[in-house]
Amino acid sequence: MKIEFTQDKISIEDKVISALDRFVLDFIRLLEKYTDYVIVSGYVPILFGRSRGTEDIDVLVKRFDETVFIRFYDSLIKKGYYFLNPEDVHGLYEMLGEGLGIRAAKKDTIIPNVELKFVKNDYDDFSVDKKVKVVLGDKKYLFISPIELEIPYKLYLGSDKDIEDAVYLWDIFKDKIDLTVLNRFMKKLNVSGVEHGIGI
Amino acid sequence: MELVFDRETNRRERLWFVHYYASWVRKVPNHVWSREQAKLIDSLVLNARNFNLSPEEYLKMKENGSQVRRKR
Repeated sequence: MKIEFTQDKISIEDKVISALDRFVLDFIRLLEKYTDYVIVSGYVPILFGRSRGTEDIDVLVKRFDETVFIRFYDSLIKKGYYFLNPEDVHGLYEMLGEGLGIRAAKKDTIIPNVELKFVKNDYDDFSVDKKVKVVLGDKKYLFISPIELEIPYKLYLGSDKDIEDAVYLWDIFKDKIDLTVLNRFMKKLNVSGVEHGIGI
Repeated sequence: MELVFDRETNRRERLWFVHYYASWVRKVPNHVWSREQAKLIDSLVLNARNFNLSPEEYLKMKENGSQVRRKR
């Protein structure tokens, strides 16, 4: 794997774009016109080669007004998306405000879908404020949560799949990421990667 | 015949594979690992068209799942 890694940008040249990457990039091109966003969780290790699929892509967005959400909603519908949730546009915005996720997919499909949530804690804020741009080639880019937070968060979530994701990200990025930041989040989330050699 | 599933052995084997696979990804050019990954993911996305649940049933399933899992 050849990647160029800086604190706020990762470039992967010559990546073969999968159907999932295309789905995410298409959705993100619409979303970014309305708000700051960051992709977190399962799609992050997949973006860097993990050999698994996912049903949903978790996206955190900064809080924005309902009028902005209505414009975003309209643009999604025009481009052939729909929300899996039965609520109308006002109900969907209300769900976001209550800290719930809302799911959008291409018309007549359910998988893959994007689960959209407002940021709701310090970790989410850090993810958006310190987001990392991933460049996949000409005009193909997206923003992800810092790897230094993704690894501890995956360990915190704690399922077998999450731990495997954390181990994979560590194996790929261990000689590139900021270990001080990683270990700070390990402590904050009260998790340890010692068993898997993470953070050592 | 009794079938026994050794969860711990399975977990160790899966983690071994994650290390092995990550080591391979690090060694080969981007177009090699990503071409193999795209084959897998494209087939999963294609197969998802046969998904039989309605949006309501899917949301219910996800809701039940998140109740037993810490989620962001």
